[in-house]
Amino acid sequence: METKYTEVYQNAPVASKEAECEKVSMLLDLVIDGEATSEDQQYFNHHIEDCVSCFESHQKQKLLKGLVCGHLKRVIVPESLAHLIKAKIQETL
Amino acid sequence: MSEQTGKQLSKEEKDARFEAELLPVLDPLYNFAYRLTLDEDDANDLVQETYLKAYRFFDYFEQGTNAKAWLFRILKNSFINEFRKKSKQPAKVDYSEVEGYYNSEDVEGESGVATTTDMRTESVQDLIGDEVASALNALPVDFRTVIILCDLEGFTYEEMAKILDIPIGTVRSRLHRARNSLKEKLEKYAKTMGYNS
Ligand SMILES: [Zn+2]
Repeated sequence: METKYTEVYQNAPVASKEAECEKVSMLLDLVIDGEATSEDQQYFNHHIEDCVSCFESHQKQKLLKGLVCGHLKRVIVPESLAHLIKAKIQETL
Repeated sequence: MSEQTGKQLSKEEKDARFEAELLPVLDPLYNFAYRLTLDEDDANDLVQETYLKAYRFFDYFEQGTNAKAWLFRILKNSFINEFRKKSKQPAKVDYSEVEGYYNSEDVEGESGVATTTDMRTESVQDLIGDEVASALNALPVDFRTVIILCDLEGFTYEEMAKILDIPIGTVRSRLHRARNSLKEKLEKYAKTMGYNS
């Protein structure tokens, strides 16, 4: 796939498209989890502007994380548990 | 009658701090315990054990540091050291039944009339939630753990490394593999439901 915009922001040597995609896929989890450095984040954002397949994997990964944090039901803590813990603590010297 | 050194807390002070700083973590801690054991009674025992240990070692807890991460670490260690051995084989449990039970209880609870403005949307949401839960529960416990810590509880990689006693690099690779398996399981489901191309 060709990149439409040819301005080169990176002063690093121009890597092959494949190597760039590889790097971006390595950054995917870091980006999703907010752990990427701002430099990596920038590189990532710039790449997915032009690369459909990396853009799509980013969307998919975001969706996956969203499924867990948005749809997984939290279980309800038994009402007695906090009291039970406090009572046990009271007995402890 | 021996008065301890200045730093030592009285029992009243200790109990008060314990309640103020550690008990608020009960909800996420119980949820974590449940996701590890997949059993309510086991989760209950594990959480009690964790709090008792935390109380015993409370002097080692530095005020103002991350109470949640500290408790999660204690719970995780209890689970691995003692609990895993004596617990019934969780692989035999019918998870969908357990999930269903919680869901129906949830509906009965507080959301009775007020939030059921759109029943259709809500039941679709439930369906997705059930599916995510059974896919997650089918993962090996180490994979389940990193996904819960990261995606549900929002711990950073550094906090996860401390909770799990593993290097950050291992956190990353484990999380990556865990997500791949979860994706695989959910895609299988999407296919059977006629979504995916
Ligand atoms: Zn790419």
